[in-house]
Amino acid sequence: MIEESTVRSWYTPVEVSTLRRWLIVSFLVNMFLLSVDVLRGGGTLGLGLCGLLLIGLMLNTLPEEASTTSRNITLVLSGGLLLVGLLRLLASPRTAFDIWMQGWLIGPGAIALIWVSGRPVSAWSTQTLSLSAIEFGLERNQRLEQRLRSLGAHIVLLHFVFLTLLPLVWILDIALSPGNALGGSLGGPMTGEHFSKIMGSDSFWTWMRNSLIVSLGTTLLGLVVAIPAGYAFSRYKFTGRDISMFAFLLVQMFPGIIILVPYFLVMKTLGLLNSHLGLILAYCVTALPLCVWMLKGFFDTVPRELEEAAVLDGCNQFQVFTKVVLPLSLPAVAVTALFSFLAAWNEFLLALTFNTSNDMYTLPVGLASMISSTGQAWGDFAAASLLVSLPVALLFLFFQKFLIEGLSAGGVKG
Amino acid sequence: MVGVEFRNVYKQYEDGFEAVRGLNLEINDGEFLVLLGPSGCGKSTTLRMLAGLEEVTDGEILIDGVKVNHLPAGARGLGMVFQSYALYPHMSVQDNLTFGLRMVKGEHRLSDQEMSERVKETSSMLELAEHLDKKPKELSGGQRQRVALGRALIRRPNVLLMDEPLSNLDAELRHQMRTEIRRLHDELGTTTIYVTHDQIEAMTLADRVAILDQGELQQHDAPLIAYNKPANAFVKSFLCRHLDDLVETANTLLRPAHSPKED
Repeated sequence: MIEESTVRSWYTPVEVSTLRRWLIVSFLVNMFLLSVDVLRGGGTLGLGLCGLLLIGLMLNTLPEEASTTSRNITLVLSGGLLLVGLLRLLASPRTAFDIWMQGWLIGPGAIALIWVSGRPVSAWSTQTLSLSAIEFGLERNQRLEQRLRSLGAHIVLLHFVFLTLLPLVWILDIALSPGNALGGSLGGPMTGEHFSKIMGSDSFWTWMRNSLIVSLGTTLLGLVVAIPAGYAFSRYKFTGRDISMFAFLLVQMFPGIIILVPYFLVMKTLGLLNSHLGLILAYCVTALPLCVWMLKGFFDTVPRELEEAAVLDGCNQFQVFTKVVLPLSLPAVAVTALFSFLAAWNEFLLALTFNTSNDMYTLPVGLASMISSTGQAWGDFAAASLLVSLPVALLFLFFQKFLIEGLSAGGVKG
Repeated sequence: MVGVEFRNVYKQYEDGFEAVRGLNLEINDGEFLVLLGPSGCGKSTTLRMLAGLEEVTDGEILIDGVKVNHLPAGARGLGMVFQSYALYPHMSVQDNLTFGLRMVKGEHRLSDQEMSERVKETSSMLELAEHLDKKPKELSGGQRQRVALGRALIRRPNVLLMDEPLSNLDAELRHQMRTEIRRLHDELGTTTIYVTHDQIEAMTLADRVAILDQGELQQHDAPLIAYNKPANAFVKSFLCRHLDDLVETANTLLRPAHSPKED
């Protein structure tokens, strides 16, 4: 038999439990916003602190069962929060950022005011509910909780989406606006002139060709070396195995700029400056350690018994690898390929140092040169950078399935 | 059909562990031999040495009178069923079955027609006919087990090796497959070596059992002889006491069924 008091203690209106979560989030957000505001020298620091304090207090005084006082205090506090928010809105300049910042005070205040004064919370905190009322309340909780929770999650996530998309939208805006101003005007007149200019210029296509050759070359060479290396590290025991695995990582620990000068001298001696091969070799060296480690990790998850079965089926060492292990590892190989392609596609420093003639530029270097040589052609620059990211975005779309499989494969299979 | 012989076989691993010590064992043509022992007794190592997956440290292994110590695994004409089945996940059941046949090059290679006949024969024998196009992950545990068995049998192996093939199945299926394996053996007459730590499997399947402990052969006899006349204290406790305990448990479990009569 479940006692009545037990049932009672398990019931809290969904508004109260939701407020408890949301207030914590808005406390953290407000704390963050306040520090941003201090850094940019905002003038309403006192009011902001006041709001923060109110939220903190409210977290402590959220209504409890059969306690009229706590409910009333919460009501007063939420009213205060709303007021502080509004005052702060009046006192601050009406920029989008300010309005949004005050929204984080006004919103929680208003929601708390409405919910705490509403019937479900009032009834629960001021009188003893009958069992059937609690039953109804629990059912209502179940119905609403999921929705409120996902609403809250979406509000928070939308912030992140906005932050992520902002630069992209900005660049798109610059690329589509006429003229070469840095700040475009959203919703203003649009033009495709920058795109057509870039697409029509010979040097862009030369750079694109260079980038493709270098990136694809890096990917291919990287895979040809990394796949056998990863397999060997995973399956064979040999002298210096652990040391060389570690040495691989050691190279990664130095910032690229340290090896830039030695690299340059090596390339110069080999006569590989201003060539595709030079860049391909250099990129392979930087991308290989991670590729080898990733592939080794995946090969480790391929059961040994599978290879033994293949041996008994009459495969030799090489066939075991090509017919059984490699087909199984395609997701990991795809991820590795994508990784080295991206690394090569986006690399700037080495490309800038090694390839100094205009017709050997890769895209990142070429883009940078647009800014310095043709007098800050921001519009062209933005259009070009969008065109540069396009292949990468397409690659990601294409490899998405593999990516997820490849990244999670180790965890599931092991 | 062929016999297998171990002559004074030793196996020492790189870390110095002696897995098998001076094993002398003769398996007759068409015999069903069970290698029985607790874990770590060297039974799996013995099997893997015969299969060519482990090198032999010392001694000789003969298949059909031919020394095979250094013959590559694929050339020994064996079929093996692994504990984890080890089916190729990226191939259909049909491709899993025929993989070994397709690896054969030269004059011994079967024509496509012969190959599909083999597949038909094997799949109907193991009730796999309707699953040929599926991937292993779409099959149940018992079906996977049968594919693994089929993959070993389709090559008409000289010797069939099984390494605890039933340990991943539930009790009911295990019982079923046990009967199935024995039936297949009686039908095909393939020399079979079966590794297990399960005394019941050993007693029900074997023509003869070889009981191992700490890398040494303890007794090599027909199951009932080993049970009735254990060669030493270890066999007595590992085989006989265990089975006696089982019988006793079964009796106590069954007693309540009789008790109403006594009332």
